[in-house]
Amino acid sequence: MTAPASAPPSDVRSGRRRARLGSTVNAAAAVLAALLLGAGVIAAAGGNPITAYADIVTGTFGSPSTITLMLGEVTPLLLIGLGLGMAFRGQVWNIGAEGQYVVGAVAGGAFAILSPVQAPVVLIPAALAAGAAAGAAWGWIVGKFQAKWGVNEVISSLLLNYVAIFGVAYLVRIPLRDPDYYLPQSKLIPSAARLPDLPLLNVHAGLLIGLACVPAVMYAMGRTPFGFRLRVLGMNRDAARAAGIDTDRLIVKVMMISGGFAGLAGIAQVLGLESRLNNNLDAGYGFTAIIAALLGRMRPIGIVLASVFIATITVGGDTLQRSQQVPRAAVFVLQALFVIVLLVADRLARR
Amino acid sequence: MRGVSKRFGRLVAVDEVDFDLRRGEIHALLGENGAGKTTLMNVLSGMTRPDSGEIEVEGRPARFRSPQDAIDRGIGMVHQHFKLVPRLTVAENIILGQAGGRRVRLPDLGRVGAEIEALGERYGLEVPAGAFVWQLSVGEQQRAEILRALYRKARVLILDEPTATLTAGEVDGFLEGLRAMARQGASIIIISHNLDEIMSAADRVTVLRRGGRVATLNRAETGPAELARLMVGRDVSLVEVLTAAGGARPRGAGGPEEPDREAVLEVEELVMSGESGHQAGAAADSGARELRGVNLAVRAGEIVSIAGVEGNGQSQLEEALMGLRTPDSGAVRLGGAGLTGAPTRQVLEAGVGYIPSDRYRYGLVSELSVAENMVMDRIDRPPYGGPLRLRSRAITARGAELIKRFSIAVRSPAEQAAALSGGNAQRAVLARAMSADLRLCLAAQPTRGLDVGAIEFVWQRLREQRRNGVAVLLISTDLDEVMALSDRCYVMHRGRLTETPLDRDRIGLAMGGAAAESAPGGRGR
Repeated sequence: MTAPASAPPSDVRSGRRRARLGSTVNAAAAVLAALLLGAGVIAAAGGNPITAYADIVTGTFGSPSTITLMLGEVTPLLLIGLGLGMAFRGQVWNIGAEGQYVVGAVAGGAFAILSPVQAPVVLIPAALAAGAAAGAAWGWIVGKFQAKWGVNEVISSLLLNYVAIFGVAYLVRIPLRDPDYYLPQSKLIPSAARLPDLPLLNVHAGLLIGLACVPAVMYAMGRTPFGFRLRVLGMNRDAARAAGIDTDRLIVKVMMISGGFAGLAGIAQVLGLESRLNNNLDAGYGFTAIIAALLGRMRPIGIVLASVFIATITVGGDTLQRSQQVPRAAVFVLQALFVIVLLVADRLARR
Repeated sequence: MRGVSKRFGRLVAVDEVDFDLRRGEIHALLGENGAGKTTLMNVLSGMTRPDSGEIEVEGRPARFRSPQDAIDRGIGMVHQHFKLVPRLTVAENIILGQAGGRRVRLPDLGRVGAEIEALGERYGLEVPAGAFVWQLSVGEQQRAEILRALYRKARVLILDEPTATLTAGEVDGFLEGLRAMARQGASIIIISHNLDEIMSAADRVTVLRRGGRVATLNRAETGPAELARLMVGRDVSLVEVLTAAGGARPRGAGGPEEPDREAVLEVEELVMSGESGHQAGAAADSGARELRGVNLAVRAGEIVSIAGVEGNGQSQLEEALMGLRTPDSGAVRLGGAGLTGAPTRQVLEAGVGYIPSDRYRYGLVSELSVAENMVMDRIDRPPYGGPLRLRSRAITARGAELIKRFSIAVRSPAEQAAALSGGNAQRAVLARAMSADLRLCLAAQPTRGLDVGAIEFVWQRLREQRRNGVAVLLISTDLDEVMALSDRCYVMHRGRLTETPLDRDRIGLAMGGAAAESAPGGRGR
């Protein structure tokens, strides 16, 4: 008994486009509302909200070096966020990207160190693939547990983060440790494996990989049976099953894909930035990317924008601390506000 | 109620409707799905605020902001889907959410229980107040719901499709109880599509169509034929629809009772235990939530029914046959080939059309377009797509074709399935299930909650399948439907099937477990 207001959509894709518009409006409204609430937080912390926001923008876009910093932050957020967006569209709540990220970083890094072949053309792609495969394997565990025994993926993926982080700590302390060195870290990653920077920018090529994945993910989600089924999985899991869709396999697959993206992000960061594998690979991107995926409405373009946005306030947050004596933590409060306000906005919109 | 209107977006759900209820009367509200019955009653019970119009209760104007406001003025609604907490007792459910929520201590449950049982006795609504809701039959749960409203001193009771889930025997007792309540001064509104029920219980009838009131009539001055016409706005073939007389079932030319025709579906000693997510809480008893050795055969070109009270294993059988759950033991064969525990996709590909009992949960994806819903099960096959692509033009065209073939009222194949009303949603489910060449059609509760026009349509399609030589397995709690369509009939009771002659009384007895086994406790009568 519901009848939509305007003219009927002409084909199945234009109908989908309309639904997307609503959710974009929601996201924009949520960001605005969160910025308003955040103004309150900044004022409470003793800053001036208006100049604070201005500082964030100028602090990020004011100089080439901070823009570079910002793009460097975008890279892992984008890569991880793309994979999480796919999983979330299927209502598969992968909270384990942080773990998948470090597993990918270490596996790929170890591969680069131990590989007998040292030609960059082979070594770089192979190391990237190794990292992605390791992240995918870490995601596979979650998917398999969910499919086989109904283990809630939120809990298993969250807890596997810690297994990964402490497992890596062990690896760099014992088996991978460089014996000639005082700190617990691995041998040098061969320079042949170093991911080159993009021309004119001091940002490694991982950003390019992420951007190249955007249209690929869009196509996969919108135009392939796999993406269709994944969307159906997210809309109505029971109906998906009744229509013969193997939901268990689909969950395993999408966990592997999102884990693979996280692993790829991890190894790209290592090959682009680190000289050795160490204890501090878990930089929190796997958690922040959850915000990027949700804020970007789980859609590739949205995730690009959300990643840039989050990177901007992260980098600008440093400026904020210097110019206004507002603690950097205010930025994390702001990030959390985005998600909370967004969830509320979605609820309200459904009324 | 005067001039009540309610819009949702641009849709006018209820348009300038007047409605009055007299003390001590049973007033039936009749209309097709989407006619606005439930919306109108939601306004009256404080669930929905009207855009315009007035409500007066006992001569004084009323403005309800919440169901609590309506309860305070003596108006209680019993919803079609019960709002009881399975793990609490009847008494606990009844006091749940009552006024005085700030008090720390619960009221004395023993005293409340005694009051409830006294109330039940007075109105013929006996329910054990100390029993947990999950132990109750559907009929008992409904009585508990009504008692909750009465306990809160409701003088006006609104019942939304109260008989939809009851067995034939339970319906008679239930209607008798309503009449007793009305004699004692309660005013009752009953939302229904069932013309027989209305004719036997109601004092007056108000018919709604497309949000507007068509007529309010005294029962004595009207008849089922007139009501049906008013409801759908055209003549429907009443012979098909009103099969209350029973037995008048037109036979397919092929003579479906040739005994030696080969069985398409064979089920042998199927056993499945454990809880089903399907309807936890609605099942009669935890012991009945399973299959305990089901034997069944359906031949080509016949309609075989499984009758029975809901919660005796029907949904489990449905899930086991469709590969949605894996049985513990036993065998399922389709055309001689084993399908036991096969995944759903394999079952569908073997030529099984599936009309699920819960059409919104299992049948349709409301956020997808109607066209996409119709090809959901074959989306990676030409012409709709290949492994790495979808062809939206072919999908849309297929949707348009099926919309026409199954006369689905929707503006475009790209419209979201959420826009479909009850009857049209079921047409869409049928369209997908029956658009392939089938060997077996499994139709579970295919007309539940549908209006007369849609029921007629579903029945015609099922008979058409039979004519085409498809084996049709119909799972239904609606005895009229079983009588109207079946060639043979089984009755399901506590996880077992008993083949029963097509005879109302025999089926009714078997539904209570008389023929199968002596049911301990004999709940649900």
